[in-house]
Amino acid sequence: MKIEKILFPTKFREFAFEALESLLVLKDVGLREVVLHYVIPREEVGFVPYGGYLKDEEERLREETRIRFQDWQQSLSAHGIGSKIVIEVGDPVPNVLALAEKEKVDLLVVGKKKKTGPELSFVGSHTLQLITRSTVPTLVSKHMVEYESSGQMVTRLNDTIFQRPLLATDWSEPSGRALELLLSMKNVVGSVSVCHVIGVKIAKNLDKSGLHLLEKESRKRLDRYCERLTAAGIPAAPHLGAGRSVLEIIRIARETHATMIMMGTTGKDRLHEFFLGSNSHRVAEASELPTLLVP
Amino acid sequence: MRKSIMRTSETIITAFTAALASLALPAAACAAGGGGHADMGVSLPLYSVLPFAGMLLSIALFPLLAPKFWHHHFGKVSAFWAVVLVVPLVLGYQGAAVYEILHIVLADYVPFIILLGSLYTVSGGILLKGTLRGTPALNTGILAIGTILASWMGTTGAAMLLIRPLLRANAHRQNRTFMVVFFIFLVANVGGSLTPLGDPPLFLGFLRGVPFFWTFHLLPHMLVAAGILLTLYYLLDRHYYRREGITAAPDDGAQEPIRIEGSYNFIFLAGIVGAVLMSGMAKWGDISILGIHRGVQDVVRDGLLVLMAILSLAVTPRTLREANAFTWFPIQEVAILFIGIFLTMIPCLKILQAGSQGELGFLIAAVREPLHYFWITGILSAFLDNAPTYLTFLSTAMGGFYPGVAESEAVMLLIEENPLYLLAISAGAVFFGALTYIGNAPNFMVRSIAEEAGTPMPTFFGYLFKYSAPILGSVFVVISIIFFI
Repeated sequence: MKIEKILFPTKFREFAFEALESLLVLKDVGLREVVLHYVIPREEVGFVPYGGYLKDEEERLREETRIRFQDWQQSLSAHGIGSKIVIEVGDPVPNVLALAEKEKVDLLVVGKKKKTGPELSFVGSHTLQLITRSTVPTLVSKHMVEYESSGQMVTRLNDTIFQRPLLATDWSEPSGRALELLLSMKNVVGSVSVCHVIGVKIAKNLDKSGLHLLEKESRKRLDRYCERLTAAGIPAAPHLGAGRSVLEIIRIARETHATMIMMGTTGKDRLHEFFLGSNSHRVAEASELPTLLVP
Repeated sequence: MRKSIMRTSETIITAFTAALASLALPAAACAAGGGGHADMGVSLPLYSVLPFAGMLLSIALFPLLAPKFWHHHFGKVSAFWAVVLVVPLVLGYQGAAVYEILHIVLADYVPFIILLGSLYTVSGGILLKGTLRGTPALNTGILAIGTILASWMGTTGAAMLLIRPLLRANAHRQNRTFMVVFFIFLVANVGGSLTPLGDPPLFLGFLRGVPFFWTFHLLPHMLVAAGILLTLYYLLDRHYYRREGITAAPDDGAQEPIRIEGSYNFIFLAGIVGAVLMSGMAKWGDISILGIHRGVQDVVRDGLLVLMAILSLAVTPRTLREANAFTWFPIQEVAILFIGIFLTMIPCLKILQAGSQGELGFLIAAVREPLHYFWITGILSAFLDNAPTYLTFLSTAMGGFYPGVAESEAVMLLIEENPLYLLAISAGAVFFGALTYIGNAPNFMVRSIAEEAGTPMPTFFGYLFKYSAPILGSVFVVISIIFFI
């Protein structure tokens, strides 16, 4: 598992280019091409009531986008990274997923929204659909975020995201793949914190001795993760948490001054996602840190 | 451009508001004099139809003159005309106006949108996949199937199901424009003439008492129109096919067998047909909703239609709808525009129902023969939307033959005593909808999808003068001679 090709769909929101720039360090671990993708929403140009299709408007949007992307391309080629521009009319989510499959990309990068509204989420509906359905590792990039901490608004700049990643594992296969991906990035990663959370659902069914046994087993597994990382030349430290998984992961990330959270994610069906959600998706929604989800 | 449009809009708004404020004065006098809603059609002044005309002209002209403005502001335009009518009408007629507004919304608009929405949702869950290679025979077959399906899944549903496969099948062909034009003629219009599910005007007729299977009387008219058009299409396609020098279909090695995904949606489609049929046959009494009496069977029908749509949404995989490029936008547009149309057409309908006593008595006197109804309903349907036009001329016919008679009774009398008139109105509204892009809602959806897929489509006038007027005009003359003279 190695990141050689990135799909970067964008709506040209604030800090989109800075978010792309912060990924260019991956050139040191094999990044060779970025696919710049813009989807003109079909509703913007099609289905004019009783009028049909705005061909001129589509052309204008295509040209505007091409000019912006060409500016980005110059910067990418200055870093020695190739690039390709794809501009299409369609529905953003399926078009992005289809292009990721067609181009066989190794990483999909999606943006964040401002943390507003009653749900206080960094993830919009399109991003949530993408991270739920993507079959390739997906980074929810949060280059600059504003969030409330201790009653105050804090602005955070996430520009060195690979410096101190936190790998949150539940021992699943996707978590194993997240570890492999992390190992492939050893030249750009400074140090890693590896954490596991003994969740409430499991803990409440165990007595004290059962819990101790689980704790011992969990620490052993954490050490094994860390040993693999250390053996690859990446300093790693284990952290065991207990309680509500999402809150614990976010707490540990803050305490370890992590620059990104990496997690494995299992594909949930629509009903499961609707009623129970997914820890990885909730972390992506709630944390102020970029979140890299590995399916 | 945008500023000048805004300035013009402001001027129009001011002028109309002033003119229509005066509507309240004679109307208020009439209401004070004891005029209930039965008298509304007699006392309403002719200028009270101006918002309706404005609404329909907006639909006709804005997409041509200011398509970008229209695309982003059509909801505001619809709301403007609705307010311009509703405020003075309520001021003038008070309770009677409120009753008419609630009646048209609850008894016509809501069922209309529910039917269109459920057909659109269910048919959007059916995906035709596989490798089709466009030959004259195959294309004619697709058009024939679409024509048959249109009466059962709606012209919109059939068009959405088949337009993308037709375009994909003919991606290798040089001349594709005429294919889409004939598709609009047949699948998006003529094919929808046999049942109230087929085309919105016929469903509005059904809501007013026209029996479900009565529209099957249009079968001969439909067969003549479809027969001529399909034959002409085949000959044209064969001509272009030979001229393009295609000796064999291109083989890119990616042959995929033809199959239908989401076919379980046909069960929901059958559920929709069953629900509409049921509401036409059952009589379970009335219930009052906000003072408006509605048949229990009609409310149950609307509930079942919503249920069919919800079931379709629940069981159809999201990826299938995405492959169909399913989006809610077209149905939202219809819902937004038609609330404006339904509200603004209240005075027009009431005046026409008043017969010779109403301000449009001259129109009723002028339109006498079935031939007149066929052509006038048709030509107005082509340039306005065909659903309100159908209702307008149904009211004209009823006002002419049975002035003052209750609507449901007048419809039955018209069917029993003068069915040729209703046939002429129905055929005119459905068939002429194909004459322009704005005649029927699916026309613009098909055009939009074709242009997005890279098929060049003629302009509004190009479509009218190069294709529809000469071809459809000839077909309509034949139909007139056979059926209405």
